[in-house]
Amino acid sequence: MQFPGLEGDYTGLINIVFLVFIIMMSLYGARIQMWQWLKQIEAGLIELEHMKKESTQRSIETFKKFGRPEEEVEKELARWLDYFTIMPVDLDPAGVLKRLDHLLDERRDRFQEFVSELAPEGALFEHQSLENTLEVTQVLDLIFRIVRHFYLIGKKTGSQIMIMQIHMQLPDIMKLAKAYFDALDAFAEGKPIGDGIGPLVVTRFAREYGGTPEKYVHEISKEVGYYPIEVEGRTVYALRATGPGGTVGKPGFAVKKLVDDNKGKIARIITIDAALKLEGEDMGRVSEGTGAAIGDPGPEKYAMEQTATENDIGIEAIVIKEDEAAAVGVMDKKILDAVPDVIDRIRTSILKRTKPGDKIILAGIGNTIGIGL
Amino acid sequence: MGLVSKFLGIIIAVSGIAILFFGSSDPVWSFGYYILGLILMSVGLTLVTSRQDAKDKKPPPPTVTEIRCDNPECTFKEIRDFQKGDYILKPMDAQCPKCQSSMTIHGVYVVREEEPE
Repeated sequence: MQFPGLEGDYTGLINIVFLVFIIMMSLYGARIQMWQWLKQIEAGLIELEHMKKESTQRSIETFKKFGRPEEEVEKELARWLDYFTIMPVDLDPAGVLKRLDHLLDERRDRFQEFVSELAPEGALFEHQSLENTLEVTQVLDLIFRIVRHFYLIGKKTGSQIMIMQIHMQLPDIMKLAKAYFDALDAFAEGKPIGDGIGPLVVTRFAREYGGTPEKYVHEISKEVGYYPIEVEGRTVYALRATGPGGTVGKPGFAVKKLVDDNKGKIARIITIDAALKLEGEDMGRVSEGTGAAIGDPGPEKYAMEQTATENDIGIEAIVIKEDEAAAVGVMDKKILDAVPDVIDRIRTSILKRTKPGDKIILAGIGNTIGIGL
Repeated sequence: MGLVSKFLGIIIAVSGIAILFFGSSDPVWSFGYYILGLILMSVGLTLVTSRQDAKDKKPPPPTVTEIRCDNPECTFKEIRDFQKGDYILKPMDAQCPKCQSSMTIHGVYVVREEEPE
């Protein structure tokens, strides 16, 4: 490479400098890039650690209002943060959902026991919201520990693939962590979240047809009940988890129980839930489909599908689209504004696909935090 | 802060371009100016294209509580800041100032700003 105006001995020197630069870059280019990636992961880790610490502190502040001193709450929380659940073995898949359901029940019982001990002066609905607060703190702690693990392993071994994969996933991980971090306020204060749109729609629908908190039938399955209402000559069991505490209950098993109790009489199951929107889709957009709209690890959905199949009952889903941040964060106005549209679609479905005298199950799936009966 | 750094970035990048092209006629210094121009350009462009720092982000929107009169013929609606203990469908102790009917919390929500696609 020659530079105009630079002649004589300097040209040779510059050529050597460029040659050295090219050789260095081809030999150490990958290392420089890895160093750059590590620095970016480090920056993400600092932010994740901040979220983790802040959420732990927020949990301590929330729990200490219910009767235990701060030091005890802090110590117990630190012990509880890495509580884990071992998924059942699936090499022999027969009965795996039953075993998973058993483990999930056990896990929930342990959570409830822990929260009751740590907040002895809290009411049941407060305990439910505290459980959610605890879960958010646990998630943030887990995300931080996993990212730190890959960062340290990558740094220690110098493995490019290890560093590259965590670097590539970092934007998604940060987005998820941010969504949970922002949700902490909702859970700590008992505000309704986007995921609660299912139970809200069902309650509003029930109220239009005379459903009241007094008529609500409690505990047909764990933390789930229903409003028996009459809609244009049909009996509708409008089913949801019991609020305003933060719980999703076991709606799948509630549907199964209602079908078993009304053998041969249920004509349709309609499920209402929040669904993750695709990037570019409008928040609060309502979509319809076939199947059980429920996002559990498996047992609830299986119970619903199995009972619908065995009894030859049509099962349909109406979902309200939202992103991850809106689903776990305080309810967005656009999601709330979708309620009348969903109610219209439920009414249309009932009138078009069932006849007077039929019985219908309308199941609102989601977390009932901040949503009254 | 974001706008300031972008403005600063433009100035640095333009200075870099100027140094790169006009540099020095002295053969000893011209190579140094060439490198300096490149460095300034890259620093300036990094500042222009870098995203806003997380700390500069706006605080989350406030949560509001919407209370409506239970009388279907009355249009009274009140929106106030969320208070601890508020939940959707909570019956209010206060009566509607317009028609004296009972009132209920119709919604607890935030109005989020649209993120650019």
